[in-house]
Order: sequence, then structure tokens, then C-alpha cells
Amino acid sequence: MSVIRVLSGRAWVWSFLGMFLVWLVTAVYTGGKGSADVITAALSFATFTVIVGIGQMFVITTGPGNVDLSIPSTIALSGAVAMKLMGSSNDMLAIGLAASLGCGLAVGIFNYLLIRVLRIPPIIATLSSSFLILSTAIAYGRGLKIKPPPMLAEFTTAQVGGVPILAIVIILFAILMSVVLNRTVYGRSVLAIGQNMRAAWLAGINVERIRFMTYVLSALLAAICGFLLSGFSGGASLNMGQEYLLASIAVVVIGGTSVAGGKANVPGIWGAAMFMFLLVTMLNTLGASAGIRLIMTGLIIVAVITIAGGDEPQR
Amino acid sequence: MLNKATMGASILATAMSVGAGVADTSDKRIALSNNYAGNSWRQAMLGSWDKVTSAAVADGVVAEAPAFTTAENQVTEQAAQIQNMILEGYDAIVINAASPDALNGAVKQACDAGIVVVSFDGIVTEPCAYRIAVDFKAMGRLEVDYLATRLNGGNLLEIRGLAGVFVDDEISAGIHEGVAAHSQFKIVGSVHGDWAQDVAQKAVAGILPSLPEVAGVVTQGGDGYGAAQAFAAAGRPTPLIVMGNRYDELQWWKEQKDANGYETISVSIAPGVSTLAFWVAQMVLDGKDVPQDLTVPFLQISQDTLEESLANTQPGGVANVEYSLEDAMAVVAGK
Repeated sequence: MSVIRVLSGRAWVWSFLGMFLVWLVTAVYTGGKGSADVITAALSFATFTVIVGIGQMFVITTGPGNVDLSIPSTIALSGAVAMKLMGSSNDMLAIGLAASLGCGLAVGIFNYLLIRVLRIPPIIATLSSSFLILSTAIAYGRGLKIKPPPMLAEFTTAQVGGVPILAIVIILFAILMSVVLNRTVYGRSVLAIGQNMRAAWLAGINVERIRFMTYVLSALLAAICGFLLSGFSGGASLNMGQEYLLASIAVVVIGGTSVAGGKANVPGIWGAAMFMFLLVTMLNTLGASAGIRLIMTGLIIVAVITIAGGDEPQR
Repeated sequence: MLNKATMGASILATAMSVGAGVADTSDKRIALSNNYAGNSWRQAMLGSWDKVTSAAVADGVVAEAPAFTTAENQVTEQAAQIQNMILEGYDAIVINAASPDALNGAVKQACDAGIVVVSFDGIVTEPCAYRIAVDFKAMGRLEVDYLATRLNGGNLLEIRGLAGVFVDDEISAGIHEGVAAHSQFKIVGSVHGDWAQDVAQKAVAGILPSLPEVAGVVTQGGDGYGAAQAFAAAGRPTPLIVMGNRYDELQWWKEQKDANGYETISVSIAPGVSTLAFWVAQMVLDGKDVPQDLTVPFLQISQDTLEESLANTQPGGVANVEYSLEDAMAVVAGK
């Protein structure tokens, strides 16, 4: 009994358990063939989901109704701008990264202005800004695919003993963000606002400044994701952010962060991102048709959320 | 027959040979109703439309030919768009449809209002509309037929498109027919790459470790380069990958060809098919006899034409051909 209580107190454990289970099924089915390589592939691709997932987690944690739907278009814009500016040249790397971060900053500020000044609910605000951002990306890039600078391509695809370098960097980054969430004034403020915005305000927290920082953080991380992703996949494309809309929200929720806000968890995002990739791999390996695969993905996500989310009674 | 050099000449020739046609449609207005613009193929499609129609407007063939794209790729949105076009009194509407049957009501209204409706790529089933379809099944069969000329058999990996879309089912059915005809091949894995390089790369990277040696990869276009990257990242020998006319695919193929004589084919639909639809609409308005259902040939690139095609393709774009009125007449005549 006590084991279960300890486990359910740590919601993120479930995402790692799910990850291990789907990996095991795949390994058994293939007779262990290539099971280590699957982990390598999962690490490479989960990295990008984790980057945007962390940003989304902070946004969702600030309370009900807060969500950033502009992540996919920010990824597309940041990738397109950076690749076009750099023009495959190593010398332009710093400028490309700066431009990419500039895009993120601009999107974050714009999103917050829509929410704060025009008082538009975050879901609508970030959804409508995503149209503007994607249109900008289309007008600017016209779907051009320019190769990333060799150094960026090398950095994003390099491996040490089967572990992608980028994954190590992002694991370290996740640890840092975990500290930020639990040990800094900013992180504690985000949690406090998510639990009760009025109480947080009465306690002297500058609520609007914290929300502003959170939306900017999410957009910045989406921009970094776009920059790295274009390096990893050999150039930016207009639709490369598409799958990160649902994925960013799903990994946050499966990872044990409360959709209602006020309760967040960083390690769970890694477990959930790995789980999502391995789940698709397992269903592909088993030869499930696309229809079955989508149904299974939906059902398993619901199941995981139910198990992981049904822990604490509401206070 | 379709290269750019002859474009101007053929438009000129057209203007002279069908002088009567120019007079007949010079006051006509043709609108493009397009459901999606968010990838390089659609961007090229709109670019071709703009290029050919603005020349046609300048030459006085038609009065105007604007393009409209819906924001959300939604059927309801496109149906409303078509209804607006009816109210604005266009003489012809060219449609790349979000759904083969859900727009039929709006299309029927347009036909009843005396408007010529031509659908292409994403075609509509409403009988009153003209359809410019692609024989996607034949494209799938062609891929396996080609592999049969190059390999003695072996394992194939199939990369499919967007699940639930008609085109994906058709190409895949063609591939499976091809495999049934060439029993030396066996499909050992199938993933959905959504016609996008990064999605294909991710899906292939996931399934690859569990697969035996792969001799060939059959694709649907837009996914070949991603597959090549996934094989390279996994340290596996590069199989024979059928390409899909995207710039990155052709460029990768060229690099491999120069480095080690890599040989393959590339096949897809030219985005310039929008200009064929434009000319078909113009011909119908002109009173010409056009069959309700037309088939366009796909654009195939071989080892010999690779350099030329690559040079003519915009970086990030898709190998393309634009149609002249003459080309359109040839397609209508079934040549």
C-alpha cells in the first residue's frame, strides 16, 4: 500500500513506467533486435518535444485556461528566419541563433499583449497569433528549404556511445529548469499563481510580470526548438512544427503536471516524450494500421492520464 | 514539351492560332479556390498559377484570375468561399478541394448559377464539375516496376502519406498491387511520413532498428530525403530510395550520384497542374469540347534528366512544369 502511495505521490513515475513497458513489448516482439538503437532514436526525437514541453508546462501551470497554441508556428518562423539568414554558413551561426531568439521574444511579447491589453483569453490569443506568425513565415520563407550550417547539423546529430549530445544538453537543461521551478522566486510564483491567482496577488506576487515572463519563456523555447530542429532535419519547412501542438500539451499532462495548474513536474516531461515516441514505434513495429494506431494512441494517453492524474483528492 | 523556354513562344502561338478564343474569353473572370498553402508544393502551385494567369491577363486572354486560399483547411470555410465566388459572379471557379464530396453542395450551386467548375489535385465528385485527376495507383505500381528492373528482390520499406487521405490510399494500393505482381519483393515495414521530410525521418528512425536488411524504399514524395537521413543516422547501408521531386531529395540524389554513382528515379505530380486546370477552364468558357474527366501525366525524373531538373527547381521547391494552352489542348485530346 505504502509503495503505491509513494508512487502516486510522484506522478512522473508513471510516464517512465509506460515508457519502459512499450519499449519492452517492442523488444520482445522483435526478439531484442535493435532495442538499444530504438532508445537512441527515441532520445534524439524526444529532445525536441521536451524543449517545447517545458515551456508549455510553465504556461499551463499558471492556471486554468493558460496554454500556448502558437508553439508550432513559432517553430516554423524561427527555423525559416534562422536558416535564411545563415545561408548554410558557419560564420553566421551566432547571428542565426540571435535572430531565432529575437523571433521567440517578439512572439512572446505579442502573445502577452493580446492577453493583457486586449484581454483575450489565452487559447484564442495564442491561436490567432499563430495564424499571423505562420503567415509571416510563409511570406518570409516561401517554403524555401535551405541547408543548415554544417556545424549546427553536426552538433544536433552528434552522438557519444549511442547517446545524442543534444539529448545530454537538454537533460541538463531540464534539471536546471526543475531547480528554477522548485527553488527560485519565479518558479514558486508560477506555482502559487496556478494554485490561486488572487491569493498569490494578495501575497505580494507581481502576477502580471510572472505571466509575461512565462509566455515569453514558452515562445523562446519554441524558437530554440525551431532552430535546433532545422539543424537536425536538414533545413526548415513550414509544417515542421505541426506535430508539436498536441505533443507539447500531451507530454506535460502525461508527465504529471496538473492541467488545472499549480502543480508541475519537469522529469515527467522527459518520460512522457520518450513514451510518446516509443509508443508510435511499438505500434509501427507491430504493423498496426494508421487507424488502429491513432485509436490506440488516444486510448493509451487517456489511460495514462487517468492513472497518473487520479492521485490526490482536491483540497 | 513543357519547358520554360517554349512557354512564351507557345502562348504567342496560342494567341495567334486561336485568335477567336481570345476574343471570346477576354471578359471572363476565373477564380482559384484553394484549401491549403502551408507546404512547398502548394506554394509552388500558387506561384505557377500566378505566373501563368498574370501573363494570360496581360495578353487579354481573360479579364482576371485571382487566387484565394482558406486559412484553416476546413470544408465549411471553403464551401463559404465558393458561395462568395458565386455571388461575386465569376465565370469559372478552379478548385483544389479540401474534400472530394463535402463541397458537392456548393459546387452544384455554382454549376446551377452557370459557372464552370474545374477541380484538380483535390478533386470533387459532383458530376457537373470537371476533374483533372492523377492516376495515383499507377504511380505506386510504377515505383515497384522500377525496383524490379534494378533489384533481384528483397525487403521493402513503405513510407505512406497522411493517413485518411484519398491520395495516400491510392498510391499505397498501387504499391501493393506492384508487390503482388513482383513476388520477389516483400514489404517488411510501413510507416506514415505525412509527405513531410521531418515526419518521415522520425518514423523511419523509429522502425528501422527492428527491421531486417532493407533493399528498397517506396515513397509518396516529400519523404525520401528524411528516409535517407534516418538510414545514415542508424549507420545502415543506403537502400534504393524512390524520390518525389522535392529539391532536397534531388539535391541529395545528385550528391550520392556524384560520390558513388547512386541510381534511382523520382516521380511526383508537378504543382503546375494548377495552370492546366486554368487552361481547361478557359477552354470550356471558350466553348471547346472538353471531357468531364481528365488524367494528367506525372512528372518523372531519371538518372539522365536529374541535373537539368535540379537546375530548374527552386531551392526548397518542387520540380515543376507549367502548362501552356497548347499543352492543355494536348492533354484534353488525350495525347
